[in-house]
Amino acid sequence: MATWSCRFLLLRGTGVISLRAAAESPVQSLGCVRTVKTTTWFEEHLTEDNQRYMRKSIAQEFRKQTAEKLNPLKDEPWPRNEWTEGSRRVGLVAVKLGMAPVWTKTGERFPVTMLQVQDCHVLKHLSKEEYDGDTAALIVGGKNVSPFQRSEKQLEMFRNAGVPPKQKVTVFKVTDNALIKPGTPIYAAHFRPGQYVDVTAKSIGKGFQGVMKRWGFKGQPATHGQTKTHRRPGASGPGGDPAKVFKGKKMPGRMGNTYITAFGLKIWRVNTTYNVLYVHGSVPGHRNCLLKVRDTVMPTRSSTLLNPPFPTYFTEEEVDLDEDLYDDDLFVHTEPSITLT
Amino acid sequence: MAACTKGVGKCIFSLRLLRSLQLQHERFLSTSMCRLAAGNDGKFIPPSKPVIIDKTQTAASLRKFLSPEFIPPRQRANPLKFTIERKDMIRRRNVLNIPEFYVAVTMADPNASGKTNRFVGICIQRGGKGLGATFILRNIIENQGIEICYELYNPRIQNIEVLKLEKRLDESLMYLRDALSEYSTVDPEMKPVPISPTGEVPVNKMRVRMRPKPWSKRWERPKFNIKGIRFELCLTPEKMEHAQKWAEPWREYDMLKEYDTSKLEEDIFREVQQGMSNYTSASGNWCNVQRSQALLFVSSISLLYIMSSFNVIALRYLH
Repeated sequence: MATWSCRFLLLRGTGVISLRAAAESPVQSLGCVRTVKTTTWFEEHLTEDNQRYMRKSIAQEFRKQTAEKLNPLKDEPWPRNEWTEGSRRVGLVAVKLGMAPVWTKTGERFPVTMLQVQDCHVLKHLSKEEYDGDTAALIVGGKNVSPFQRSEKQLEMFRNAGVPPKQKVTVFKVTDNALIKPGTPIYAAHFRPGQYVDVTAKSIGKGFQGVMKRWGFKGQPATHGQTKTHRRPGASGPGGDPAKVFKGKKMPGRMGNTYITAFGLKIWRVNTTYNVLYVHGSVPGHRNCLLKVRDTVMPTRSSTLLNPPFPTYFTEEEVDLDEDLYDDDLFVHTEPSITLT
Repeated sequence: MAACTKGVGKCIFSLRLLRSLQLQHERFLSTSMCRLAAGNDGKFIPPSKPVIIDKTQTAASLRKFLSPEFIPPRQRANPLKFTIERKDMIRRRNVLNIPEFYVAVTMADPNASGKTNRFVGICIQRGGKGLGATFILRNIIENQGIEICYELYNPRIQNIEVLKLEKRLDESLMYLRDALSEYSTVDPEMKPVPISPTGEVPVNKMRVRMRPKPWSKRWERPKFNIKGIRFELCLTPEKMEHAQKWAEPWREYDMLKEYDTSKLEEDIFREVQQGMSNYTSASGNWCNVQRSQALLFVSSISLLYIMSSFNVIALRYLH
């Protein structure tokens, strides 16, 4: 990238161009608006052999790091506490796979979203003072990415935890008895069928939209003498007395591309080999997006959380876990067809 | 001299007759002797029972056929999603026999109102991919067109039986809604037509007559590409020419839209075959369970086609 721009400049016969010069007099320098890129690709100054070596060694390192962290209970585990009513566990970062139908034993059909937990690790523990003074928090990351595109500063946290860099990093508020040692992997079996979760993700961006789509306004009739008024917002408030438009008035604007939480979604099924969660209904975000899943905060649903794996599910503790964990009401496809009596 | 020759001729004739009789007799004797010789010392052995092949029973298809819902749609989803779904589909197929069928297969099935129901109709469309795959059956009952959309993997489906297996000229037979009612009428008491388990599926080249316009869709437009309608009976050549205005002949050269599934299909077919055989040849308790389920299925074939109540999308409209 850098070489290309240099050649371009030489052809034009201008002198050396720096960032500052471009910022001060962009018109003088060349007569055309250009962005000067100071970043470089990691492979820019590497031969092909070296690139291949780098990629290979990184993959090996990733594998080694994940293998090391498989048994967090063995090497210097943090003290563990019993599950009590009212404690908040850590959540996890998952990838949205897509939607599918499930059937209950009574023959009802529900849509579910399949979420896969990919390389989800606890990265850092924030104590009460470090976080906000109210609760402790755990930083959790999901989905491994290349370390080549990250700066040293960004990589520091991952290096301390001893895990590969992650694409998505989120913070979960937890109670003091639910702390986990950084570097611990989190699996889909952290959640169990029958419990309810909240899913947070960035919704699909819809661009600049009018009030009918954005806020569900009714609009105006299509016919009966309407002139140039079909999808307009109408009045924006009273006139004389407040003499202003109130703040927060629903108006046209950018829609979507914001973080949304879907509350109280039931977990129907958990696949422990592929680490897939089957969550009731739809969740925000596009396909393959990264989401944040946690135990629900809804007061009516919290009673479903009975004796969950606490503080999280460890593979060496529950070795004989089934491949698929089903909700009691869920129809399993190996059963014979349903006959209603 | 003449009398002598006549006598000689008679004599020869009678001799021949005798010989032939003797020969026949000989043969009779020899056969019986043979049988006696074969059986031990004159004991009677009844002839072996004739093998009666019941051609009304549908044999397991030996054709290489992959159900269309196994082929994943072309999208940027993680292939793992389809792999997991396929596992469930194979599990369900080991419990419920989902036969090979195409658009335009008359099927006996399930549906609502009471606890069980049986619906016979012509399959006019197959839709959906993965576990959410559906098919639409159409029939005309009491002069009323009925269409029911069934989910293929719904556990309420008790049995799917193909009464007549054939292919039609088109992918989707939605135009039967606008055709004369005789083309979508199927006798509910219809007996299964025998299907050869091997060889090509016969193509029914029937072209239907339509009711007068307006239709639910303009079937003459090139985007539907319908071959099974006798347009010459209902539209003038000028109108057919006019419909070509909406032709988009460049579409077929759009290489970005090509989706070659042949290789994918083969892999999935192998996976499905393996999955189906795994369950049947597994050892231990699991195998017993499977066998008993298989027996159940056979008995349900020979008895009734039981159907439980069902999520039904019934399109009813007047003729």
